[in-house]
Amino acid sequence: MYDGFASVNRDRNRKLLMVFSVGIAFVFFVLVVSFWNFQIGQHLRFLEMAENNHLRTLRLRAPRGVVFDRDGRVLVENRYSLNISLVRERIEDLDEALAILGRVTSVPFQSLHDEVARNSTVPDYRALTVIPDASLAQVAAVTLRRLELPGVVVEQVPTRYYPSDSLASHLFGYVGEATDEQLDATTDPRVRSGAIVGQSGVEQRYNEFLMGDDGERHVMVNSIGREVEMIDEVPPGAGRQIQLTLDYDLQRAAESAFQAGGYTGSVVVLDPRSGDVLSLLSVPGYDPNDFALGIDSDTWKSLNSDTRLPLQNRALQGRYPPGSTFKIVVAAAALEEGLITSDFKVSCRGGATFFNRFFRCHSVHGTVGLEEAIEKSCNTYFYTIGNMLDVDVINQWSQSLGLGVMSGIDLPHEAQGLVPSRDWKRKRFGEPWYPGETISLAIGQGALAVTPVSLAVMMATVANGGTRITPRLLKAVRDDNGWREIDSSQTFETVEMLPTTIETLRRALWMVVNHEGTGGLARIEGRDVIGKSGTAQVVSLTGRASAQDGAIDFRDHGWFVFAAPKDDPQIAGVVFAEHADHGYLAAPIARHIMATFFAKQNREPLPVLPGPLPGASFVDADGQ
Amino acid sequence: MIDSRLRPHIDWVLLSAVVVLALIGLVMIYSATYDPTTETIGPQLSRQLLALAIGLAAGFVCLLVDYRVMTDNVGLIYVGLLALLVYTLFFGLEVSGSRRWINLGMFNLQPSEFGKIVIALVLAVVYSGERTRDRRIQDWATGAAVVAIPFLVITRQPDLGTAVTLLPVCGAIMIFAGFRLKFLAVLAVVGVLLSPVAWTYGLEDYQRTRIASFLDPDQDPRGAGYQQIQARVTVGSGGLTGKGYLQGTQSQYNFLPVAHNDFIFSVLAEEQGFLGVLFVMGLYLFVILRSLDAARVAKDQVGMFLVVGITAGFAFQVIYNVTMSAGLAPVKGLTLPLLSYGGSSVIATLMGFGLILNVRMRRFIN
Repeated sequence: MYDGFASVNRDRNRKLLMVFSVGIAFVFFVLVVSFWNFQIGQHLRFLEMAENNHLRTLRLRAPRGVVFDRDGRVLVENRYSLNISLVRERIEDLDEALAILGRVTSVPFQSLHDEVARNSTVPDYRALTVIPDASLAQVAAVTLRRLELPGVVVEQVPTRYYPSDSLASHLFGYVGEATDEQLDATTDPRVRSGAIVGQSGVEQRYNEFLMGDDGERHVMVNSIGREVEMIDEVPPGAGRQIQLTLDYDLQRAAESAFQAGGYTGSVVVLDPRSGDVLSLLSVPGYDPNDFALGIDSDTWKSLNSDTRLPLQNRALQGRYPPGSTFKIVVAAAALEEGLITSDFKVSCRGGATFFNRFFRCHSVHGTVGLEEAIEKSCNTYFYTIGNMLDVDVINQWSQSLGLGVMSGIDLPHEAQGLVPSRDWKRKRFGEPWYPGETISLAIGQGALAVTPVSLAVMMATVANGGTRITPRLLKAVRDDNGWREIDSSQTFETVEMLPTTIETLRRALWMVVNHEGTGGLARIEGRDVIGKSGTAQVVSLTGRASAQDGAIDFRDHGWFVFAAPKDDPQIAGVVFAEHADHGYLAAPIARHIMATFFAKQNREPLPVLPGPLPGASFVDADGQ
Repeated sequence: MIDSRLRPHIDWVLLSAVVVLALIGLVMIYSATYDPTTETIGPQLSRQLLALAIGLAAGFVCLLVDYRVMTDNVGLIYVGLLALLVYTLFFGLEVSGSRRWINLGMFNLQPSEFGKIVIALVLAVVYSGERTRDRRIQDWATGAAVVAIPFLVITRQPDLGTAVTLLPVCGAIMIFAGFRLKFLAVLAVVGVLLSPVAWTYGLEDYQRTRIASFLDPDQDPRGAGYQQIQARVTVGSGGLTGKGYLQGTQSQYNFLPVAHNDFIFSVLAEEQGFLGVLFVMGLYLFVILRSLDAARVAKDQVGMFLVVGITAGFAFQVIYNVTMSAGLAPVKGLTLPLLSYGGSSVIATLMGFGLILNVRMRRFIN
């Protein structure tokens, strides 16, 4: 049945078919052009996007170098911690993922959320740690729910570990991610965004050695972020090991003695021959482990708001008037300038009048010579020789012996002390120096401020007979060829002093400890300890009277500088006890340190503190 | 089986092109369901093979039986389709909120896939026959009603994508049946005017999100725009010669969703590159033009309409899917006929080509 398929229709249909065919062919052509555009024209762009999709560069964090003490004992090492991190790029609903994560790990949602918000600048494709140092239970819970939690990864990261918690915390310092300023300032290719670098202390000073070279692993991941194939790996290079001059046992002794005394303050112990820092302490400390995985904001806040300043390294950043310990410098200056001899005598009747003003002594000493004046810390004697000395001479001798200048210790952020001079007075106040000011300067009061480490250098210089050593912490570095000892003696300076001056000072300082002086609590039989106490006024007597509320502790700070044995000193140092009221209360701490030193030298059992030290004060230890 | 006089008139060239496309589909499905970590493939390949066998058999039946026998019984076929669709709507297998499949044990049948062929048959009958007068509005209304019923049922499943494939079948046949282009223009204007209403009342939330994300995929790159962006990345990263078989990172590592189904062409573009795209597009164009040629030589109007309708539906689906594969069209659950995984789609498509071959083969038979 041919159904009138008329030729008119036939023509129209053929035309339409032609139009259809051409139309479809044209659409195909357009599509092919589109594919050409994507596949040829924009190929590189899309190829990069595809690679970003499935290629991941994972940073393999390099362990930092291990730090040993002078006996080879491990002070700082690394441990592996498990961090739970987010790759936000792979997470569709961040809040939902955080809610699940919080539930399975028992971490409050809000704290996870805050952690993400705090690190919002971390690129989406990089793992952002939300639960550092996760427990095994948390890791197991997350691993079990891997399918519900795409983009949540568990990373094993070498983490700085300080086995003895807050021991020498200021000395070791702490580590943290490189700051923007550090990234801008560095020329070290290892210091990249996200790299862990030393932020203070030895960690910062010797970062160049300690820092390892982070490696990289290139992996293929699937759409839920699971690693499906490793392409290649650049293994991380561990940081170099270093050995410090620090003596762990001495450091422990210093800390336990400080604890027993209940003070805040500082200790610096040096080997006066080499400048080796045997112990360096600042109390209160902090736990550098808290920083190892990024410090949480609460801990950081409480460290920063603590009025006892736990983050300050008092040994090099605290500046205090040296009190009577400064008399050593004044005596040395007077002897060396030829103004007096050790026979020079002064009569003390409880003080003396200079420039129409009465300067008090704490006692009536009668007629005293230099050695006795030092032994008994007679102010009248030193007022008298202070009156004979020019302020600039005192200043010059202070600097020669290490006060008012940087010690050059190999730790960052050392503060410079202050010893006044005419020049300083004019610049600072636009006023001339008044001779009366030299009187109180001679007993270590006035516009005088020293750091504990600089006072330790002064004591070491006097003890060793005039070599101003540079305190140093780095003993050796391990490189490819083994341990390389560091020699820093070229930075030592010789202070020209007459043998008689040295002899006189040593004898006087010996009497302080071993005769009738204020340092009797530091005495060790047969060790010929020399030393000098000092009291640093916190406020003037009038200021103390006006402050009635007692909110601030106005008790004076106590100093004790020491060295032993007298004729061949092997140990020298300083104890600074805040609010100890008097320097002689710092002496037992020094004694314990020296006793430990000599016991160790003789391979005897290390001494143990019997109990609280004389005059122990626990007020500050409670943070009140 | 086939009359010996007819055998020489089978369009072996078209048949070969269709079979080649189906084989390429198998190869790409293997790749898309391959898991490089376990080095295994999904169950889809064997199911597709089975569907292909069934489809070839069904297509053979469609070739064997004179198409006029079918057009004579078109009412029965139409009612049968509607029955299946309605059955599906109420008793179908529910998968993520929609009922599109009837569970047949070995695989699931998707009746809506067969809608295109049935509609082509019905409309071919409606608009063929002696024309004694110019077409009137009633003629168009009849055709529209024929399409509207299954269309509405399918959209209720809901499966807007498959429902939409009925429209080009209908449109093409109506144009050949004398539908004036000026009507088309009027319809277009009405459509534009109605689109806000359709946007508000006619679309589901997910559909609105899809269209919005298509217009600006970067707006929500992890959400609805994700597929679009990944489709472009997949295609674009393939380059001229592709990343190699089973080497497509986008598809192998699941960055491209439903790669074996809606986005099979993206997998091809990634692994075989622009050259692969060119080859397959060429085959598709050849199949379409060759089919239209069957319409040209068709002996009668009903045959011509039938071929035009089926080819139009096929061409529309190919064009839409390929456009979508390049991230240039909103994502719809529309398969690429012959290449995509999907049993019903393969069977329906092969049946369609059976009919096209049927019309061509019988062009000299009175």
